[in-house]
Amino acid sequence: MLNKLLKYDLKYMIKNMMVFYVLSIFFAFTTRLLFNMEQSTMINIIGQISVGCMFSMVISTLINTIMRSWVRFRNSLYKDESYLTHTLPVTKNNIYNSKFIQTLIFFIIGFAIVIISLFIAYYSKENWQAITRYIKTITTGLNMSTTFFVTMFLIIVFLEVFNAIQCGFLGIILGHQRNNNKLGYSVTIGFIVYIIAQTIILGLVYVYGLFDPTVMELFETGNINIEVTAFKTLAVLSSALYIVIIYIMSIICKSALNKGVNIE
Amino acid sequence: MKLLEVKHINKTFDNKDVLKDINFDITGGRIIGLLGKNGAGKTTLIKLINDLLTPTSGEILVKGKKVGVETKKVISYLPERTYLNKQMKVSEVIELFKDFYEDFDEEKAKKLLIDLDLDINERLTKMSKGMQEKVQLVLVMSRKADLYILDEPLGGVDPATRDYILDTILSNFNEKASVIISTHLISDIERILDEVIFIDKGKIVLQSDADKLRNKEKTSIDEIFRRMFKC
Repeated sequence: MLNKLLKYDLKYMIKNMMVFYVLSIFFAFTTRLLFNMEQSTMINIIGQISVGCMFSMVISTLINTIMRSWVRFRNSLYKDESYLTHTLPVTKNNIYNSKFIQTLIFFIIGFAIVIISLFIAYYSKENWQAITRYIKTITTGLNMSTTFFVTMFLIIVFLEVFNAIQCGFLGIILGHQRNNNKLGYSVTIGFIVYIIAQTIILGLVYVYGLFDPTVMELFETGNINIEVTAFKTLAVLSSALYIVIIYIMSIICKSALNKGVNIE
Repeated sequence: MKLLEVKHINKTFDNKDVLKDINFDITGGRIIGLLGKNGAGKTTLIKLINDLLTPTSGEILVKGKKVGVETKKVISYLPERTYLNKQMKVSEVIELFKDFYEDFDEEKAKKLLIDLDLDINERLTKMSKGMQEKVQLVLVMSRKADLYILDEPLGGVDPATRDYILDTILSNFNEKASVIISTHLISDIERILDEVIFIDKGKIVLQSDADKLRNKEKTSIDEIFRRMFKC
């Protein structure tokens, strides 16, 4: 049944997100086209407008992925549509897993759309060389390979945002266990859960630091000129901790859902 | 075998008892009217049977099983509100029901849509509330379920369509199935009821065979209801 639920969740999201994807790529093309044309004042003005539109669409893509995931989650589980969701012959775990996977997929797609849009608008041999040179400077200083740096950077950003989305899910579930002001409680609880999750991650890094002096330097010195090996350790450690926290939080969400819902 | 068993159900919201020690059984092949004034607890009880609310205490069994995935396979539920994703077309909603409910009869749904003059290719957002309610009724009655639970099925439709809906209910459920209809439009459904459950202030105040009650009181269910709940 999970695949069937996922089919409808993906359909809903694609219907709502497609416009942002299309516009993002469209303005990326117009940006590239306008800046490759012979420049005049008018072309330049239109070009700048196109750049503005592209960036606003790129940002909208990311923000909408997060917001619509929360809205979809709330509507499906607690608003009018929940009358269908909760009467379908599927487990609460599958309902949650479907939303989780849908968010994961659309966050990856959103991320890809941003990169593709920027690539279409700005790719040139010179720009590419400038970016790689810049990254190389960082990675040489940190004693990392470029691939490792870029991969870890993307993974950490991805896990951080995904963790925030899931904190929102838990906030919605716990907020809707209340009888009044459910939305207010959802937002407040979601925020508190996010702070707690971040504190736990930081606390565990501190605990790890008790056994690794290079990591402990982060807490003791207060400056960022710490041993380069500590960055590698931190990147891997924080990624692993995020994954564990996301997993534990999904178990808490499912457990709370399985205790039953109270739909208005 | 009992189709539905409701045992000592209590439901409390904010320290207010909405349902108090509700007990009743339903067997197959019956049409039961769940009758009561607004706010009596009818919808709360129905939502508990459909897993939309969690009881404070007590137990609900459907064909001997606790409310869950298995009971949802055999219950066809029509809520009192429009609940479908309005971005969807009627054909997409039919596809959804076909996907999730093994007992859904697509051909029957299409026939009922034609009878009710509903366009299968129309989006729900372009339909009036009454039309959306008709679509929902079609979906619910196109299942070969064991228990149909209809919460205010006549509320949003015109009187002319009410008779068609009642005929649809009568002619579209199998003999072993039962139907629970919650409504305050008693005179409209009286003719099809086998049994009545009167609910008031969260308590069942009367459960009886409809004919026996009519014979005993020598008047209609509607009149008995009016007398019993006179303000």
